[in-house]
Order: sequence, then structure tokens, then C-alpha cells
Amino acid sequence: MFSQGGLSLEQAPPISVVLRFFITGAAFGVLLGVYLIGSSFSSVQAFGGNTFNLIVTHILALGVMASFMLGALFQMLPVIAGVVINVPTKKAMVVHLLLVVGVLFQLFAFSKNSSFFYLFSALFLGSGLLYATPVMLKEVMSINDHSSSSKGMLFALGSFVIAIGFGLYMLLTLGGYSSGSFFTEIKEAHYSFALMGWVGLLIASISFQVVEMFYVTPKYPEVISRYFTLTVFMLLLLKTMSLMAGVGTNIIDIILALLFIAYATITLHRLYKRKRPTSDATVWFWRLGMGLLIVGMTLTLLGNIIDFSHKLQLLSYITFIGFALSIVFAMVYKIVPFLVWFHLSNQGYMEAPMMHDVIHPKKAKIHFVMHIGMLLSWLPVAFLDILIIKVVASLLLLISFAWLLYHLLDAGGKYRYTQKYCERIEW
Amino acid sequence: MIITQYMREEHRHCDDVFADAEKAVIDGDFQKAEERFIAFADDTLKHFKKEEETLFPTFEEVTGNTEGPTRVMRFEHEQVRGLIGKMAGAIEKKDKDAYLSLAESMMILLQQHNMKEEQMLYAMCDRMIPQDIKEQTLEKMKAL
Repeated sequence: MFSQGGLSLEQAPPISVVLRFFITGAAFGVLLGVYLIGSSFSSVQAFGGNTFNLIVTHILALGVMASFMLGALFQMLPVIAGVVINVPTKKAMVVHLLLVVGVLFQLFAFSKNSSFFYLFSALFLGSGLLYATPVMLKEVMSINDHSSSSKGMLFALGSFVIAIGFGLYMLLTLGGYSSGSFFTEIKEAHYSFALMGWVGLLIASISFQVVEMFYVTPKYPEVISRYFTLTVFMLLLLKTMSLMAGVGTNIIDIILALLFIAYATITLHRLYKRKRPTSDATVWFWRLGMGLLIVGMTLTLLGNIIDFSHKLQLLSYITFIGFALSIVFAMVYKIVPFLVWFHLSNQGYMEAPMMHDVIHPKKAKIHFVMHIGMLLSWLPVAFLDILIIKVVASLLLLISFAWLLYHLLDAGGKYRYTQKYCERIEW
Repeated sequence: MIITQYMREEHRHCDDVFADAEKAVIDGDFQKAEERFIAFADDTLKHFKKEEETLFPTFEEVTGNTEGPTRVMRFEHEQVRGLIGKMAGAIEKKDKDAYLSLAESMMILLQQHNMKEEQMLYAMCDRMIPQDIKEQTLEKMKAL
């Protein structure tokens, strides 16, 4: 039945819910930059070694991506899926604290290989993420008339729960608390559900509504908006079962890659056909993200057909990370200025800063250039072991996230300043 | 789905005119921008009038619900009206940056509003209002 709550931005959570996650995501990005610079000066084994890979992957996947995506979900579930999360401020605070502490414990665990830290990271991350996702999943499952977005979010959240479950199993195995049966298979399934399921499907399901909403594009073809997320989720389940049964998964990986290439191509075409003439940085972030997804998935596709060098595989990871970050930045530069303006206007502040006053599009454009530079600088890192290249790439990554962090903090500052010093009209 | 179809076409028409006005502002052609913006404002306000004076009362009468979705939609209409006033001011002052900034807010506000109407409210109207009343409502809206 129709839920009034789902009808309005009125029901959107307070801005602090979203900002706390976004600011944390950017701060973890800065931390990643610092870690990468430090590792560049360490031994060859340290940069690119197993521990290094684990730390970098999890700062990115949990510290950066999960923070941004949980913030986006708290904001978007009420608006585009018609779901109301009760007491969002309190729930967000609990999830946020457990996530931050859990990620830090996890990084220590990887770094020190300490069973104590493995256990605590499993406890904090498990309780934080397994508290947040079922809350959201339950609400999304209760929707009667699913849109393509809400259905996609269901599969994305389902993928996240599975990825978390596998992740906890691996943490406990590494800490010596579990025998570790099927460890390699579960590791592969964990990465697949986390990257293609959680990150890929969430971005796709959000794009089904926001690309049309922000840029006034034609609708996605029904075959994509209705069946893409379902098919990917089913293929990921099939892949997991095949891994457990010891059956090859190349065909499944090829189909998955082709599906993502089709989705990205169609999204690029939607953007090309958009009615709004503006071509701000967020449009370019979307174009870049989708372009990188096509490149990344083409490399994955080729890797499943011909024998691939490790370095090219690394390149496919870099392009996938580039895709995910590009879309996150595209969303943040639209959502944050809009929310600051929207919440202040609704509270009756007539002098609420307009979107361009919160974060001017020129700042987003500068970030886009930095982001391109950062991504380009990482390409040679995959092939060459030269100190200066690694330092420059790491430094550019740090600057990129620091730029975003500064503008998010500044947006929060403008919000508080308006509340404190500007005149408010009671509605 | 006659309500959904008719109202959706009106939304798309308003989007087109809005995009024309935005393009004219980007090109610095404020004369054309003013003309297209006035057309956008007129069409949007007329669309709201059709909803508030005809469709919403019919829906409220059939469902007996005046505090639900239609109340929220009316509230959002007020927000859009406020923005239209500010955008008109920006065009008058030929303030490109202010116009584009307001246009950004307007687009997000309008699009999420339209989506909810198309995906939920109009669909409910089509489902719950009896066919004969629905046809009469549509004729009344066309006549406005």
C-alpha cells in the first residue's frame, strides 16, 4: 500500500546521517594515500605484497566505498525506494562507529597478523554491517510495488550480506578461530559478491533512477532495468556454487563481464541522449566511470579467454576502482550541495546557500582533473617498479581525497553557519 | 493508465521547455531564456493547477484520504513555486551562475517529485478511480 513516508524528501534523514559517512569515506581515502606513500618508500615486497594488497583493498572497499555507499543508502532508500528507516540518526551513529573501529582493527590485524585484532575486527565489522544491512534489507523487502531501483538495491544489499558473511569467515580463519575449509573458493566468492554484487549492483540500481533524475535522460530499456540486477545476482550465486563444487567459472565470468559492458554502454548512451544541456563535472565523472567499467570488464573478459599476465589483471582492478570512485564522486557533488540547500530551505532559512554556493561546480571540475591525473598516474605503477612513479601516484590519490574531504567539511560548516547566524522563518 | 499517460506527457513537455531555457542561459541568450522560462513556469503552474483542483480532490474523494500522498505533493508544489520565483529573479538580473545553481535544485526537486507521481500516485489514481470518473477527470483537466 502507498506509504506517505516514501513520497517525500520530507522523510529524508537529517543531513548529519549522510555527511558522517561521506566525510569518513573521504578521510579513509586520505589515510589510504598516507599508507601508499609510506609503503612506496618501503621494500619492494611491501608495495604489492600480500599484506599490502589486503590493506589497500579493505581501506578502499570498506573504509571508502562502504562508507559512501551506506551514507547514500540512508539518504536514498526513503527518497527513491519509498522506505522509511526509523530513528536514522541513532542507527547511523551505531553503524558508523562500529564500521570505523572495525576497519581500523582489521587493518591492524592484516598488518600485525594478530589473532586478537582479527577477532575484534570480525566482531565490530560483523555487528556493524550485519546490523545495518538487515535493517535496510527488511525494509526494502517489504515494498509491494518494486521499482527497478528498489529491486536492484535488494540484490545489492543481499550481495553485501553474503560478502560480509564470507569476509567474517575469512577473518576468523586468519585469526585461527576456524579451520578454513574452502578458503580459496570463499575468497573468490567474497570478492565477486563485494565488487560485482555490492558495488556494481548498487551503482546500477541507483543509476536507474538518478541518471534520469539528474540529467533528464530517456529511460533505461526495460530489459536492462528489470532483469540486469536479478541476472547478475543469480550468476554470482551460481558462480559461488560452481566454486564450491570445483567446477570452472570462466563462462559465468564472461557472461557477467558482458552484462556489465552492456549496462555501461547503455548508460553512456542515456547520458548522450540527455535533455539537459549542462555538461558539469558530474556528467564527466559518470562518463569516465562507465568508460572505465567497460575497459575493466573487457580486461576481465579477455582474462577468461586468453592467458593473462598478472600486470594486466592488476590493470583491470585499477579500472574497476576508478569506475567505482568516479561514480561515488559524481553522486557526492550532486547530493551534498542539494541536501544542504534543501534541508536549510525546508527549515525556513531564506538565506540558505544555493547549490553552487555550497560546492561550486568549478571545484568539482578541478577534482575531476585531479582524479583523471591520479588514475593515469596509477597505470605505470602496474608495469614499472620506479619509486618516483609510486610516490607521485600515491600523492595524487591523497590530494584527490583531501580535496573532497575539505569540500565536504566546508559544506557541513556552511550548513552550521547558516543555522547559527541566519534568520529563520517559522513555517 | 490514461491518467498516468496524460500527466507523464505533461511532465516530459515541461522537461523539454526547462532544458531549452537552461541551454539559452548557458549560451548567454537571456532574451530567449526569459521567453522559454516563462513558458516553463506557465506550463508547470498549469499542470499543478490541474492536479490540485481536479485530480487530487477526485483521488481524495475516492480514497477518503486527504492527509496522505496528495498533501505531500501539494507541499512539494509550494517548494517548486518558491524556486520558480527565485529563478525568475535570476533571469531578470541576467545572473547566469545563480540561475544555473537554482536550476540544479529545481531539476532534482522536480524529477524526484515527478517520479513519485508517475510511479505511485498516478498509478494509484488509474487503479482506484472508477473508469467513468477517471474519464471525466481527464476531460476536466484537458479543459483547464
